[in-house]
Amino acid sequence: MIDLKHLSIAYGETSVVKDVTLHVPEGGSFALVGESGSGKSTILKAIAGQITNWTGRIRLGEHDLQHGRDPALIRLCQMVFQDPFGSLHPRKTVDTILSEPLSIHGIGDQNQRVLETLDAVGLARKFRFRLPHQLSGGQRQRVAIARALMLDPPVMLLDEPTSALDVSVQAEVLNLLKTLREERGLTYFLVTHDLPVVSFLCDNLGILRQGELVELATVDQLKQQQFSSDYGNELLSKSF
Amino acid sequence: MSLLTIENLRVSFPGEQGAVEVVKGISFELGRERLGIVGESGSGKSMTGRSILRLIDKPGKVTADRMEFDGLDLTTLSKKRMRALRGARMSMVMQDPKFSLNPVMRIGDQIAEVLSFHSKLNARERRKRVLESLEAVRITDPERVYKLYPHEVSGGMGQRIMIAMMVILEPDLMIADEPTSALDVSVQAQVLDIMDDLVTRTGMGLIIISHDLNMVARYCDRILVMFNGEIVESCQASELANARHPYTQGLLASMPTLDEHRDRLPVLDRTQLGGV
Repeated sequence: MIDLKHLSIAYGETSVVKDVTLHVPEGGSFALVGESGSGKSTILKAIAGQITNWTGRIRLGEHDLQHGRDPALIRLCQMVFQDPFGSLHPRKTVDTILSEPLSIHGIGDQNQRVLETLDAVGLARKFRFRLPHQLSGGQRQRVAIARALMLDPPVMLLDEPTSALDVSVQAEVLNLLKTLREERGLTYFLVTHDLPVVSFLCDNLGILRQGELVELATVDQLKQQQFSSDYGNELLSKSF
Repeated sequence: MSLLTIENLRVSFPGEQGAVEVVKGISFELGRERLGIVGESGSGKSMTGRSILRLIDKPGKVTADRMEFDGLDLTTLSKKRMRALRGARMSMVMQDPKFSLNPVMRIGDQIAEVLSFHSKLNARERRKRVLESLEAVRITDPERVYKLYPHEVSGGMGQRIMIAMMVILEPDLMIADEPTSALDVSVQAQVLDIMDDLVTRTGMGLIIISHDLNMVARYCDRILVMFNGEIVESCQASELANARHPYTQGLLASMPTLDEHRDRLPVLDRTQLGGV
């Protein structure tokens, strides 16, 4: 579903992502792990179309990513951001946040779709006309997930979706993400530094170090704590 | 003798429907050891830390039957004596170096400020002490870092600088409020190791306030779990796995592990715990 071939990204002289090739099958769940500055978020941004100066090939399903604005891409993949306090418009109600993508893409039946999506992410319907500041962190992240689901994209890009949440709320959101993937056959591309989350949510992972893909591993390798690269094992030892 | 004794500490803030109590009568003692206070957002853990340093200002209200630090009664100490205590004998490391360091002051001068306030050292001695303290937090080229501004250093180094600033006068008590949550995993361990090292070497008391159970279990001797303004569990760090309170058990169970085989993670039932 997601196919990266020789993807390289540079800002001026500095090369941030170096020749990354990887493949995520349809319905798969892939995690990219690494330290800050390893380029994991940059790759995510390139797939989401936020960065245009990449070289190589990015393919989502049958669609080859263009370098400029790409309206077709928006229907293919949507992103959930790290901080639910920053990613929702503070003066728009949940209803407006959720129906906006529908209006932009000229999709009708908005009322029904908003209600269905609220149900799908486990938010009570009474929250529909609330503003973000009236919601807790976990509820906000549910709204962010609902917004990403509105256009029914087959691919979800998740940028540290639970690291800003409390432990018990993290469990709720992780369960939700797992359920949604099973119900809708979504493909997940997750960026995180939290290895236990990868163990719960993903099938495969890639370890990134200073822009280079050091290792591609299965989640079983993670569970048995047996990476083949030294750097992978170093990351393991640092994780709590 | 214990370093810090807290009895029946209460912190409240006025709300629309009368005062809201955020810390509800907690008591604990701290010796020269590492104590972890764990809890989720709103559990009152940070307020506990701040009230020890008397950093809660009006309209917040702090009351305690007893609050003693090394024989000094913190509840009645004058503001002036309190200022002399803060930084010199007890200090606090804040969460995010980005927001806690002065952005328009060179790092060395910022650290030296503590010395000029609390000691009578001259400029050259101050500089020497600052360089030593930077070295103590494993900054390899202190001369260069001395001259940098906070925006020129990474998050991990920023946090190490904060620690250098807090330990330069070798306080008896250090309170670290989420010292690593703004940092990258790979740097977290390093910062904690440095703190751990300083604590063992100087024999100070350390309170780590965090939401991360695993981290606290690894770096502390004793753990207090807070929920809803109360201490619900107090145990040795090594005994955490045998926690008895349903909230602690729930928290532990809801965390995914490296070797995760559960299909769904158990979720805390807050209504059953009588919380919000």
